[in-house]
Amino acid sequence: MKNLRLLGYLLALSLFIYSCDSNSNEAPLGEYEKGLLIINEGNFSSRDGDISHYNFNTGDVQQNIFEKVNNRPFAGLVQSLIENEDKFYIVSNTGKVEIVNKNTFQSLGSVEGDELNIPRSATIANSKIYISDWGPYDANFASPNSFIAIVNNTLGGEIAKKAKTSSRPESFHQINNDLLIACSAARTIDVMRIGVDTVGRSIEVTGTPVRFLENGGKLFLFARNSSAVFFHEINKTDYSITNTTEINIPNPTSKLTLGENGEAYVITSTGWPDYNDAVAKISITSGQVLNASLYEGNGFYGIGFDDFDKNIYVSENNGFQGSGTAIVINQSGTEVKTIATGVGPSGFLFKR
Amino acid sequence: MLILSFLFLTSFSNEVDKTLLIPQDTVELKLVEVYSAPLEKYSYGQTLQKVDARNLNDFHGQSLAELLQQRSGLFLRQYGPGMLASLTMRGTSAGHNAVFWNGIPINSPSLGQADFSILPVGGFDEATIHYGSSGALYGSDAIGGAIHLNNKNTFNKGHQTKILSTFGSFGRWNQQVEYGYSNQNFSSRSRVYRNFSKNNFKFNNLASAGSPEERQRNAEVEQFGTMQDLAWNLGSNQQFSTSIWWNQTDRQIQPVMGSNDSDVQKDYNFRAVVDYNKFTAAAIWNIKAGIVLDELNFNQSVNKTSQFLLSSDIDWTISEKLKSKTGARFNHVIGNLSSYEATEDRIELYQSINYLPVSNLAFSVNLRQMIFNGDFAPFTPSIGSEWTFFTNDKNKFSTHTSISKSFKIPTLNDRFWVPGGNPDLESEKSISAEIGLIHVFESNDFMISNQFNLYSMWVDNWIIWLPRGSFWSPENIREVRNQGLEYFVTIKKSLNQTQLEFNGSYNYTLATILNNLSENDRSQGNQLPYTPKHKAQGNLRFTYKSNSAFVNGHWIGERYINTDNISSVAPYGLLDLGFSKRLEFIPKIKASIGFQVNNITNNDYQVLRLRAMPGRNYLININLTL
Repeated sequence: MKNLRLLGYLLALSLFIYSCDSNSNEAPLGEYEKGLLIINEGNFSSRDGDISHYNFNTGDVQQNIFEKVNNRPFAGLVQSLIENEDKFYIVSNTGKVEIVNKNTFQSLGSVEGDELNIPRSATIANSKIYISDWGPYDANFASPNSFIAIVNNTLGGEIAKKAKTSSRPESFHQINNDLLIACSAARTIDVMRIGVDTVGRSIEVTGTPVRFLENGGKLFLFARNSSAVFFHEINKTDYSITNTTEINIPNPTSKLTLGENGEAYVITSTGWPDYNDAVAKISITSGQVLNASLYEGNGFYGIGFDDFDKNIYVSENNGFQGSGTAIVINQSGTEVKTIATGVGPSGFLFKR
Repeated sequence: MLILSFLFLTSFSNEVDKTLLIPQDTVELKLVEVYSAPLEKYSYGQTLQKVDARNLNDFHGQSLAELLQQRSGLFLRQYGPGMLASLTMRGTSAGHNAVFWNGIPINSPSLGQADFSILPVGGFDEATIHYGSSGALYGSDAIGGAIHLNNKNTFNKGHQTKILSTFGSFGRWNQQVEYGYSNQNFSSRSRVYRNFSKNNFKFNNLASAGSPEERQRNAEVEQFGTMQDLAWNLGSNQQFSTSIWWNQTDRQIQPVMGSNDSDVQKDYNFRAVVDYNKFTAAAIWNIKAGIVLDELNFNQSVNKTSQFLLSSDIDWTISEKLKSKTGARFNHVIGNLSSYEATEDRIELYQSINYLPVSNLAFSVNLRQMIFNGDFAPFTPSIGSEWTFFTNDKNKFSTHTSISKSFKIPTLNDRFWVPGGNPDLESEKSISAEIGLIHVFESNDFMISNQFNLYSMWVDNWIIWLPRGSFWSPENIREVRNQGLEYFVTIKKSLNQTQLEFNGSYNYTLATILNNLSENDRSQGNQLPYTPKHKAQGNLRFTYKSNSAFVNGHWIGERYINTDNISSVAPYGLLDLGFSKRLEFIPKIKASIGFQVNNITNNDYQVLRLRAMPGRNYLININLTL
């Protein structure tokens, strides 16, 4: 272990020397280029969402890296962290998208202002930013005016166009010059032709859509209801649902991560009155529940899978009273270690 | 000579503008101004601070929150100027202090707390702060202390009209008109007011790339109110009085930085109290009836609560050494909230005793039992004492101590909110002990008084709302130890027609979380969020003939955002400057004009994270008395 660490230092040093070569066109190694990025949603009242960085080699954790680098708070609730080329798009569901350098987290630009209401996700296509937004709530807290906001510059700025979508668009999938948009309240896949930038049609699906997954060369839409999760296989040409794998499992949440060999891990939560949470291991390929409670606990809020060592990362929100914890478990469900996170840790990005 | 507590001083000797209420040897009782014994009479061993009348004047039309934040050692969690402001006393939470208006509790029964931003200065004549756990004396909520707002009826003053106007930055215009008439047996006073602020101050938007300077939007506040006081002396030994207060606040809710929310809130508060007092040689018998109607409309959501109170007590002066108060209070509460309806009956029995065995020693004992909806709240006893152990012609040293239990019954929202309300919640409870030392030095034209209080308190069953699946639900889960120091100083120096006065306070507050909520919680041993360890405040006032000037400063230490104590809001200090002049045009018309600069150094600060606060701003006060 010690040797490994030494090797790590030597490697870092050599890269440092290499990157300091004045004639080289290589960019310096960014502080956050490697490691684990933890998305911390933050507390609604204090808007203290930010990203944490965990160094796999040293075990060091840095909290609030956006604030640390840019000398101002992120000041929002982080909904999603979207990677594109050398940038991250940090989508805040309190009404903005901050654009940072992927490796250094230096602010590069933003999309903000009255035009955004409840942004959920973003994607880059045709040198434009497409931002899914629930739109304003109506009196019954429904979202009848959801839209995709389109910005003509990948570094942010003004919103050039707003295209209406079905209720509550979440995440995107780009395919054949089209954007597929998972709409959770409408229970549809909306199809938007890139360039035309209006929703051409909507495909109805069973369950509440969460997001798109690619597994074994196939494209799936992950959806769920209170007693099952659904993997709708999407025809890559006409986007029809060619096959649906339904896996019966009580109280699944939208928090799911793909493992290996067509396996996935999903958080389940019994809710009132017991509030017992668990990680269930399922097989998308066979449609079976492999283990209904691989790991049990409370306040599970996000999940990730590390391809490198096959460990599963479960985040716990600590009742939003303070910062949360990432619990690392192995394939047999045994706790390996814990990592301190920020407030309301909701997801992971592995940069090995 | 009989040593009376500073409590007596508060209630019986008017026109005493002392910030610190210090025991004094004699007290003049003006017969026509005898009232029922005030709620806080039986509190030997604890500290009461009457808010200086000049401060009330300086802050006319602004909220009590602004006044307490700038002129006291207390910390208020302010969500912006004119926005929700809750009080934390001795490191407890927002609902852990009781607020009374003319002796009736006005904390919202659904929220369990008062919003100090909608208690306008001008809506009461006196404000008194009771520091420390006092549940045995006041009932539910008084874990960290209590605030008393009182109206004062005056007799034999004839006709009096007052016109009070304040103009200031960001569109501020506060206007109050008051008319009073009193003779020997009858007193009436009517007040109407409107307080307005556009609140479009500039701030640096930290949530925006580059933190540009922007104008605050959606933060306009408009408040209307009217108040009527009536009192009759029925013969020589009976008095009947009533106060009625209607207050309406229409607010745009200042969004957190980076938010485009355009929420609006309307608060309607109606409070009425009727008092009947009968005085005999040895006793005062009081019957009090009160109504408190609160309506809070947040956007389209309507939340109403009603409280109907009836109380009666007898305050006996058994001998010069022994006084006793025995009473009962009944409170019928109706809640019509956006998500539930609930009613509740609360019955309280209480007994208080003051015992003064020798002239320099006094004891208070209080006992209280509340029953709400058939459940017993924790039985709350308290005992306190005060001892003046050294006196000479210039110096006086006294010490005080008290031990008390307090409680807070779960709010209606805690128990009945749909979804998540937890009907099985127990009352929050506390045990508190304190000691204090007062030194007063007085010599001709110089006076200095210093007071230290040290306290230690343990609060258990602290209610926290936690996410439980798809909604949040409250639990009796936290345990907290609150320890701290309160220091008060008053210095007065007069020379011919010049007077110099300094009032200052410093609070050191440790509010330590004693338990973790779960295995991976790391809050044990940490400070509670938004509870500064340090707050210092000082006011220097200079008076020459009819001219007066002041400098006021307060400094608040860092406030953690969460129980993990990782992120915090930066400490800040503000400096305010003011000048005023009294004028007399013709013998019957008195006037005063004042000018104030607040936040003179134009500090960029936040009380709570990402809640913008204004930079340098100006106020002009013009008061006319006819």
